[in-house]
Amino acid sequence: MSDQETTKIEIGDGAAIPSPEDRGLVSAWWIALLGTVSLLIILPLVKPDPYLRILKFVPDGILVTFKVTVFSILLAIVIGLLTGLGRISKNRLINMAASLYVEVVRGIPLLVQLFYIYFALGRIVRVPDIVAAIVAMAFCYGAYMGEVFRAGIKSIDFGQTEASLSLGFNQRQTMAYVILPQAWRTILPPVGNEFIALLKDTSLVSILAVSDILRRGREFAAESFNYFETYTMIALIYLLITLVLSKLISIMEHRLSHYERR
Amino acid sequence: MNAVDPIIKIEHVNKYFGTFKALDDVSLNVNTGEKVVVLGPSGSGKSTLLRSINRLETINSGTISINGRDINSPTEDINRVRMELGMVFQSFNLFRHKTVLENLTLAPIKLKKMPKKEAEKLGMSLLEKVDIPERANHYPIQLSGGQQQRVAIARALAMEPKIMLFDEPTSALDPEMINEVLDVMIALAREGMTMVVVTHEMGFAREVADHVVFMDQGAVVEKSTPEVFFNQPQHQRSKMFLEQIL
Repeated sequence: MSDQETTKIEIGDGAAIPSPEDRGLVSAWWIALLGTVSLLIILPLVKPDPYLRILKFVPDGILVTFKVTVFSILLAIVIGLLTGLGRISKNRLINMAASLYVEVVRGIPLLVQLFYIYFALGRIVRVPDIVAAIVAMAFCYGAYMGEVFRAGIKSIDFGQTEASLSLGFNQRQTMAYVILPQAWRTILPPVGNEFIALLKDTSLVSILAVSDILRRGREFAAESFNYFETYTMIALIYLLITLVLSKLISIMEHRLSHYERR
Repeated sequence: MNAVDPIIKIEHVNKYFGTFKALDDVSLNVNTGEKVVVLGPSGSGKSTLLRSINRLETINSGTISINGRDINSPTEDINRVRMELGMVFQSFNLFRHKTVLENLTLAPIKLKKMPKKEAEKLGMSLLEKVDIPERANHYPIQLSGGQQQRVAIARALAMEPKIMLFDEPTSALDPEMINEVLDVMIALAREGMTMVVVTHEMGFAREVADHVVFMDQGAVVEKSTPEVFFNQPQHQRSKMFLEQIL
């Protein structure tokens, strides 16, 4: 009784985050990591031209990719929390606004949204390209994040809310002290997935004159005509980053679940 | 206000779930220090009545007053009223992300602005009272059902309520754990706490109740002392109910 199952939110997007119980995925993770690292070391050693030159040229872009990813996800989490709360709100106007936002964003391809927000924003204010890119990514991912937050909040047993209200907490305090701290655990894995998916999707901002990993690679390839070698290195760099991130998220998730263990 | 006024005053309350009439013109008074046990078959509205007292259910008509304050009045701050009403649920509902002690201290710290040290001292003394101090730093999931329910009682007491509401507190427990919870409730009754208890524990009703309220189909059928209710029930439906369960 009352030992409600911990709900897992499945979102079939982004890299798989290995759980320690999933043996197949864990060993696949190790093989992929070892393969990626060895290739990133061996290729430049064996054939410095062009691999070493690529490796020296691209890292500026890694920083930009990270910048776009981190700022976008933070903004998307804020938008997502507000959207998730809006979607469960009893206020019909707020609920409608949040639902409309989710529907619109989910119905338009990310690439189209990027162009749209980039040029729409450009008409109103002059902001650096990277800011426009971050706003556009956050606007899109905020809608998906909103659904994650909504599902996470709804996964918490209503008895928790009733217990909190009966002690004298109001709705807002109940959300802040009782529901969100518990929902966070359910929310973290899909947020981690979204983070990794977003990191990969930031490659789209290379079309907006933002010098991320892919953009730097394209610049290098266009000059040197080493297309195959360049995209090999780019793919390996993305893979290394997402592999490490998925592991970090898996560790964090494990840490957060301490109160679920007997 | 007058000291003999009932602390809980329920007058002509009606409540519908859709077209189903859950409460049918219910009136009931509970005086300070009184213990009222509500009995009745499932679906008789006894839990709904209890949950209406702290407005976890809203009523459609009638009035419910706590200490002379109409809890459904728009000008009344329901959260203030709820601080004076402790509630214990069938499924315990301990905060799963907090330790046992944190479950007890959360509301006093946040709502009464009690210093953390003082709240912890109060919390520990309440855990002594429900006989589970050694589990203070465990998480709810590490406790048995009986232990969780005793902690839930202590959590409600930490707000120093004037009234305690119990909604089938032993119904989710394994039989061997029922008594440890009932013992805590009996001790609380002896201290003079005002209590409204929805339960199927007839032994508890006999021993503790000042009045037994029997409900059926959303209405209060009979309100008697336990002696009268269990020995000479005044109503045909009470008689049938007792025959079925005894």
